[in-house]
Amino acid sequence: MIYCDNGATSWPKPPQMLEQMNYFVNEIGGSPGRSGHTASVEAERVAFGVREALAEMFNIKDPQQIAFTKNITESLNYVIQTQLKPGDHVITSSMEHNSVMRPLRMLESKGLELTVVQCDEEGFLDPEKVKAAIKENTKMIIVNHASNVIGTIQDVEAVGKVAHEAGVLFTLDAAQSAGLIPVDVEKMHIDFLCVTGHKGLLGPTGTGAVYVNPAIKVEPFMLGGTGSNSEFEEQPEVMPDVWESGTMNIIGVAGLAGSLQFLKEVGIPNIHKREVMLTQRFIDGIKDIPGVKIYGPLDAMKKTAVTSINIEGAVCSEVGKVLDQGFGIMTRTGLHCSPAAHKTIGSFPQGTVRFGFSYFTTEEEVDKVIEAVKVIAEAAAE
Amino acid sequence: MVEKKEIPINQEIGVVTFFSSHHAVQAETVLKEAGHKVALIPGPKEISPNCGVALQFEYEEKEDVEAKLNEKSVKFEAIHLYKKTKKSLLDKILGNS
Repeated sequence: MIYCDNGATSWPKPPQMLEQMNYFVNEIGGSPGRSGHTASVEAERVAFGVREALAEMFNIKDPQQIAFTKNITESLNYVIQTQLKPGDHVITSSMEHNSVMRPLRMLESKGLELTVVQCDEEGFLDPEKVKAAIKENTKMIIVNHASNVIGTIQDVEAVGKVAHEAGVLFTLDAAQSAGLIPVDVEKMHIDFLCVTGHKGLLGPTGTGAVYVNPAIKVEPFMLGGTGSNSEFEEQPEVMPDVWESGTMNIIGVAGLAGSLQFLKEVGIPNIHKREVMLTQRFIDGIKDIPGVKIYGPLDAMKKTAVTSINIEGAVCSEVGKVLDQGFGIMTRTGLHCSPAAHKTIGSFPQGTVRFGFSYFTTEEEVDKVIEAVKVIAEAAAE
Repeated sequence: MVEKKEIPINQEIGVVTFFSSHHAVQAETVLKEAGHKVALIPGPKEISPNCGVALQFEYEEKEDVEAKLNEKSVKFEAIHLYKKTKKSLLDKILGNS
């Protein structure tokens, strides 16, 4: 089987991930920050080590400003639901994932003003258009760094600058970019950074994180026990405790420690270099096949390793089925939880076939995928 | 893995107390990296009702320790000079004198 659904979750994982999870389960155990005993303190050290590793990766000064979540959807909901009130105005792009659009639309129905800035057909957002949309009551700009449908990478440094100069909060959805291309909270003026552990960071599912600019005092969202201030029935006000109630997925976080170690050893620029090479190989291999339509930029430097296509004469779900059952190639078809992006690129409501490669994908695998697309396109044309 | 340790009796030690174990572990990391001899200990109940974990350090190094914690923006509750004057329950169990 050839796994081409890294846009959904990365696979395989580096061996260090399971090594660290095994070590944690067998040798450490415990819940971090809940007891003064040896195992709990050791678990806390593991968790803190991951906060530090993430802080280093994203140029975050204070690792305590990072709270662990179960996934980036949770991170985004923490930010969106605590920061935006009826009467506020928020600006987003037309390429967003439903983890941003659904909470925003829900708040819109309750009085939030929402501007969706239209991106071009290749998915690019013009920072000038964002700037032009800012008004008196604009509270936040929220965009994704890279599209989960076609991989288009936004100029988030420019968008962050626009936000900063206007005194508006900037939230970055780094689901598809973390672990692949630079994410720098200082350079990009990011106030809230949302990341997931199980995609580009190559960690386990059930892990995610949210960074909060220390200048911002956030309200609680999910309340409960934090292992601190236990004499009070009020939620602590300080990060990470304010946004970290209940037992964290420490086994997952231990695994993430291993994955981040792998990323550090290989070097994220090398990860990127390889994924660009594989993606360009794929695009070049299929762009001249009659009947194949590739969405988004054809230059692999302008996107991540996800590529969406359609084949004339076939519905995308059928193509996906043939790829899976006929060729052993696993892709994701349909709307990829991003109706907005598909509307932007012109594939709504039919959807696309999405291929997502990783650092671990081989050149041979890419060539086999190209060959399969060719065969399917020919069959569909008959 | 378990070291049976207890704070010595009638010895002055430095203790940093914290609001949460996140900060205690951060302090341990920061101070160890700076070359200080520190250890996480159960917070003595007289000085630490808040968080169960405190940090023991050599009190002569108090100025450097405090400066390093502030430099790295590590949040802490207070820095204490602590002297245990009588045998604790743990001392009795471990047979310490």
